[in-house]
Amino acid sequence: MANPLIIRRCIIAVEVHLFGKLRRFTPNPDHFGESVLLIEFIRDDSVEDIIQRIGIPLYEVGSNIFVNGEYSGLRRKVQDGDRLGIFPDDMQLLYKWYFQKKED
Amino acid sequence: MSKIIRVNMDDLTVKEEAVPEKYALLGGRSLTSQITYDEVPPLSHPLGPNNKVVFAPGIVTGTAAPSSGRVSVGGKSPLTNGIKETNAGTKTSQYLARLGIKAIIIEGQPKDKNKKYLLKVDKNGLELLPANELAGLVTSKTVNKLLEKYGDKVGIMCIGPAGEWLMANAGVCFTDTENRATRYSGRGGMGAVLGSKGIKAMVVDATDALGIKLVNEVVFREGQKKLVEALRNHAVTKPGGALNTYGTAVLINILNEAGGLPTRNFSSGRFEGATKISGEAIAEMVKIRGGKGTMGHSCHPGCVIRCSNVYPNPDGSELVSVQEYESVWSLGANCGIDNLDVTGELIRLCNEIGLDTIEAGVVLGVAMEGGLASFGDGKKAIELMEEIGKGTPLGRILGQGASFTAKALGVVRCPTVKDQGMPAYEPRAVKGIGVTYCTTPMGADHTAGYTIAPEILSVGGKADPLSVEGKATISRGLQAATAFLDSTGYCLFIAFAILDIPSGLEGMVETCNGVLGTNWTVADVGRIGLEIMRTERNFNDAAGFTKLDDRVPEFMKYEPLPPHNQVYDVSDEVLDSVWEF
Repeated sequence: MANPLIIRRCIIAVEVHLFGKLRRFTPNPDHFGESVLLIEFIRDDSVEDIIQRIGIPLYEVGSNIFVNGEYSGLRRKVQDGDRLGIFPDDMQLLYKWYFQKKED
Repeated sequence: MSKIIRVNMDDLTVKEEAVPEKYALLGGRSLTSQITYDEVPPLSHPLGPNNKVVFAPGIVTGTAAPSSGRVSVGGKSPLTNGIKETNAGTKTSQYLARLGIKAIIIEGQPKDKNKKYLLKVDKNGLELLPANELAGLVTSKTVNKLLEKYGDKVGIMCIGPAGEWLMANAGVCFTDTENRATRYSGRGGMGAVLGSKGIKAMVVDATDALGIKLVNEVVFREGQKKLVEALRNHAVTKPGGALNTYGTAVLINILNEAGGLPTRNFSSGRFEGATKISGEAIAEMVKIRGGKGTMGHSCHPGCVIRCSNVYPNPDGSELVSVQEYESVWSLGANCGIDNLDVTGELIRLCNEIGLDTIEAGVVLGVAMEGGLASFGDGKKAIELMEEIGKGTPLGRILGQGASFTAKALGVVRCPTVKDQGMPAYEPRAVKGIGVTYCTTPMGADHTAGYTIAPEILSVGGKADPLSVEGKATISRGLQAATAFLDSTGYCLFIAFAILDIPSGLEGMVETCNGVLGTNWTVADVGRIGLEIMRTERNFNDAAGFTKLDDRVPEFMKYEPLPPHNQVYDVSDEVLDSVWEF
């Protein structure tokens, strides 16, 4: 019989791309390249959970958050293999005035 | 006393006119578009004797209002065949305003097509002078010659060889704070219209100018204070904020992450080399190379935002000003080029030859698709740009813009609306901006609807981006707000701050009231913007445009764009409803 706890803790990963001052949370903070982290996460995690797991203070995160290129909110659930793009609070251009955030 | 100066190139006469009452509250775009509508026959040939060029500083330009040194250049566009307003930030505009000049209208055509003329503007008025010695010069040489003669305290407008050759992609160049020939009213080929009239340059000397008489100084100061405060406090516009630190190219990584950065002639929305040409990369390169490199450069005195830059060569000497978002995208990602030194050289060539960088990059993308170079081949891209500068037969084709080049090369994937090349936001990924590209009277233009949300400005309707009505309403509201801002002389980028900080928006309107003596409120912004749009639309209607011209190019409807694999599926009904007001 499968243990529900084990299924729930099944580990999968998302690819997180960080920009600007948030690059310092990655081992490759090169401004000419991609600063990427592979983050293990627990099923039902939201964007906010991932941000907290990386250790980024929420006040440093701006409104430009993208999940697979879709403008998204902190509450959006993340899926296996998703690409997250997270920009800092000093790079919140354009999107917040044009688009509705995807939360779910 | 403010005045309008009319230059007649048929008989080489200059006339000063009082400002008619109907123009009293207009400025910038609202004035150039109204005069174009009133005086240019819609069916006239853009390069013929009946087209005109109108210069107009904005309503508050020349005052102490922050970031307000824009100048509008208007007339009928040789690129789109419709009405055109294209603006730039330059001290030249501030000087015109301080001399009490509401507009300069250039009309007619000289009999001798080989003669070049210079407009010399100062406190005594405008003089039309022969300037054959400037013929054929690139913009930096033109400006340097004029600075030698008139001193370095003047503001200058000029065209490059592209304008003299009547290329539909010829821009109008203005000098920046340090007299570089780098600030462009680039879009729509207005440089060619000047070329068709024999005008090579204009020198504006504001020595002993009377300045701008404020009708209500208290209201102006109040508004100015509120606006400065908003700009200095907002994360995007403040000193050390996004635009100041990274320049407008901060958007490269953002649009790339969103899958909306047009890549290799609009065949993908994501460019693998984006980070190498991003605002972060530019700022880092300026830091590493040092020398003349500068971030936080201002295009005109009195700007709080300072989003411009000076990009250095490896040895620290100056390569170019400015590596900004649209240029770095068009000549970079859109050509598959991921090297800032190459985009810098291409921008420098555009500045020198007198070309709009957006259109030039869209041209190169189409040319690469058509087999003239491989995507990513920076060396060949530079050679093609040099062809335009030499005026070779190939250069004369490329200088006519993206639609013309696509026809010449049999390229179907031609990203234009009304024959104007699309800017750096892919409509299949950023569908709302696509509505604006299609429906603005200007041809594909991002600045036509870049700003304030409709509900803030009470232009009617509910802004639900998911509803059919919502998309059109948003675009209409944005276009109206932009039309208003383009008339004030303020830089569009103040929108980022005044959108979030209501007192900043009030302040913006109050500075206009202070100059004009009006009692406008925030709610008037949308109303006035819609009036301007309607005037421009009426001109285009009379010039033969219909709603069928308000469409994306067909390939965007059947070619899914990676990474979202979306086609452009906004219905014609939505596009047409933008104009139902």
